[in-house]
Amino acid sequence: MTSIASGYKIISKVIISVLLLFCFSEIFAAEGGPCKDYGECDKFKYSLNDTVSLQSGASTYINYCYGCHSLKYSRWGRVAKDLQIPEDIFFDNLVFDKSIKPGDLMVGAMPEESVNWFGVEPPDLTLVSRYKGDDWIYSYLRAYYEDSSKQYGVNNLVYPGTAMPNVLMSLQGNQRLVCKDIPIIAKNGGEKRDDMGNTMYEKKCGYLEVEEGTGKLTKEEFDKLIYDLTNFLVYVGEPIKATRERIGWYVVFYFLIFTALSSLLYREFHKDYNRKEAFK
Amino acid sequence: MTEIASKLFTWVNTRLPIVNTFERHLSKHPVPSKVNFWYLFGALAAVTLIIQIVTGIWLIMPYSNTEEQAFSSIEYIMRDVDYGWVIRYMHTTGASLFFAVVYLHMFRGLLYGSYQKPKELVWIFGCTIYLAMMAEGFLGYVLPYGQMSYWGAQVIISLFGAIPYIGESLELWVRGDYYISGITVSRFFALHVVALPLVLIALVFLHLVALHEVGAGNPEGVDIEEYLDEDGVPLDSVPFFPYKVLNALVAIGVFMTVFSIIMFFFPEGGGYFIEMANFQEANPLVTPDHIAPVWYYAPFYTMLRAIPDPLGGLIVMAAGVAIFFVVPWLDRSKVASIRYKGIYSKIAITMFGVSFLTLGYLGTVGVTEVRKTMSVICTIIYFAYFLLMPIYTKYETTMEVPKRL
Repeated sequence: MTSIASGYKIISKVIISVLLLFCFSEIFAAEGGPCKDYGECDKFKYSLNDTVSLQSGASTYINYCYGCHSLKYSRWGRVAKDLQIPEDIFFDNLVFDKSIKPGDLMVGAMPEESVNWFGVEPPDLTLVSRYKGDDWIYSYLRAYYEDSSKQYGVNNLVYPGTAMPNVLMSLQGNQRLVCKDIPIIAKNGGEKRDDMGNTMYEKKCGYLEVEEGTGKLTKEEFDKLIYDLTNFLVYVGEPIKATRERIGWYVVFYFLIFTALSSLLYREFHKDYNRKEAFK
Repeated sequence: MTEIASKLFTWVNTRLPIVNTFERHLSKHPVPSKVNFWYLFGALAAVTLIIQIVTGIWLIMPYSNTEEQAFSSIEYIMRDVDYGWVIRYMHTTGASLFFAVVYLHMFRGLLYGSYQKPKELVWIFGCTIYLAMMAEGFLGYVLPYGQMSYWGAQVIISLFGAIPYIGESLELWVRGDYYISGITVSRFFALHVVALPLVLIALVFLHLVALHEVGAGNPEGVDIEEYLDEDGVPLDSVPFFPYKVLNALVAIGVFMTVFSIIMFFFPEGGGYFIEMANFQEANPLVTPDHIAPVWYYAPFYTMLRAIPDPLGGLIVMAAGVAIFFVVPWLDRSKVASIRYKGIYSKIAITMFGVSFLTLGYLGTVGVTEVRKTMSVICTIIYFAYFLLMPIYTKYETTMEVPKRL
């Protein structure tokens, strides 16, 4: 290697590492997350092949949410078909307006004057999982707490000042913000202890806690309910998603074969390459 | 039967130069025998252009270019049209990957001096294609009429307002209304599906005609026309068809694999290919938290933001694109390829690459003080690469270029 080339390599390495160091320390500084006061959103992993979960989510949605929130890009019949609910059962149990046909859009059941009830028109939620993200929905629906200063007596950590009342309160129970004594973490990563060897505590606030016996469901049951509901919203945001991910494997596999065959063909043509012959 | 076919062929061929064209531009067209992967992105750009045109035609059929229905017609395509989602995702993924391969193709040009005499016109047609693509991409992004379509267009069109004297009337003329509306959508639709594709196809044709006239380059910067055999064919060449076509076919296979992985598993590209806010219908009353352009405009958007004055920002941004056009006259080097250029060229192109990527990142995130300073520094480095080129390419020590490939 010539000295110029090696000099160039050293200089470029120095430049790049200085820039990167600068980048990582300052430029990538975290911005406030989408879940606001809640901190990090809880992670949500959808399972679109879990029909039972989707069915339960659909049922929760139609019973608790559909009264206010339409799904205007989605069709009744499509939901029944994708969720493998026989049409007669679906229409008997989940569709309350008997004039609705399977091909109709789920345009909602909200009267015009609804704006006056909440100050804003309840948004259509067909695409909420796509513009808010599933983590956000899953966290939001579980982050309501009692706040008597608000119109409906509740507020939300993920969406402070939300206009929506906690319609699932009868299931979840009365959730409050509480303070807790939390062990202090020492510099070495363990719990900090005083001279007597007792763990030291500090008071920290902002924890969500459900008042026992106020809700119909346990915490686990409620979390599962919200999981299913979020799962359903992921489905309705992109009904083709499960199919897309299934077909995707075949397409990728096809192109891998295509690549392999074309490189074999390429090699075959170059094996006995003769320039004179080639240009004839 | 075969006799009739061959007679028919002869009949056509005596009236239309089929065999001649095939031989001249494909089977007997000599291209350098040794090139590297950088030389494959041109073919990939052609593939993406075809994908965009074909999927675009099918998208026009169910799309509605009215203010009331633009957004819902996209959801109609995604849900009710058979395989509408495949076509739509191919178009959105294709748009991003078109820019990705074109950026790599352009960087190849800078690395190996693909603009040097006599390739100036090839380069200029290429730059014009890039300019047309930027316009085409912008117009297309408005069509789904989501929040980011609306507010992105708002920001970009208001840039025209910064031009002195004619600014405001120009803004109004482009928009066709006092604010972005159905009128804007329908005129952008006409430009996106008819006007600019025609321009793009014409430019690509000229790009290729000019390229075939002067011949393709190679990473060594060797002129293969210097050493010919007795038939006048360059010694270091292979016929374009089938050898280079097969080479491209392998590249297309790899590219389409990546394409399908994105399209079937990550169609939103982590919010960079389809921005999350664009799943909300345009709402003139609600501004999104931060308005970020799609990634492929991000470097230039950062330059715009780096300058506090709107007109200054506009000029710098426009200059950032326009400066590519004059590169053939900025490079004073005796050699074409970065392999034989001196240390300054090597440092310059590295700095340029890093600053371009940083500008791109900065364009997709919110502004802080540090980021603002960084934007200014990177903008300066970006322009320094071009503006100092006449000096550092002229006075550096270059290495000896080999005679043959």
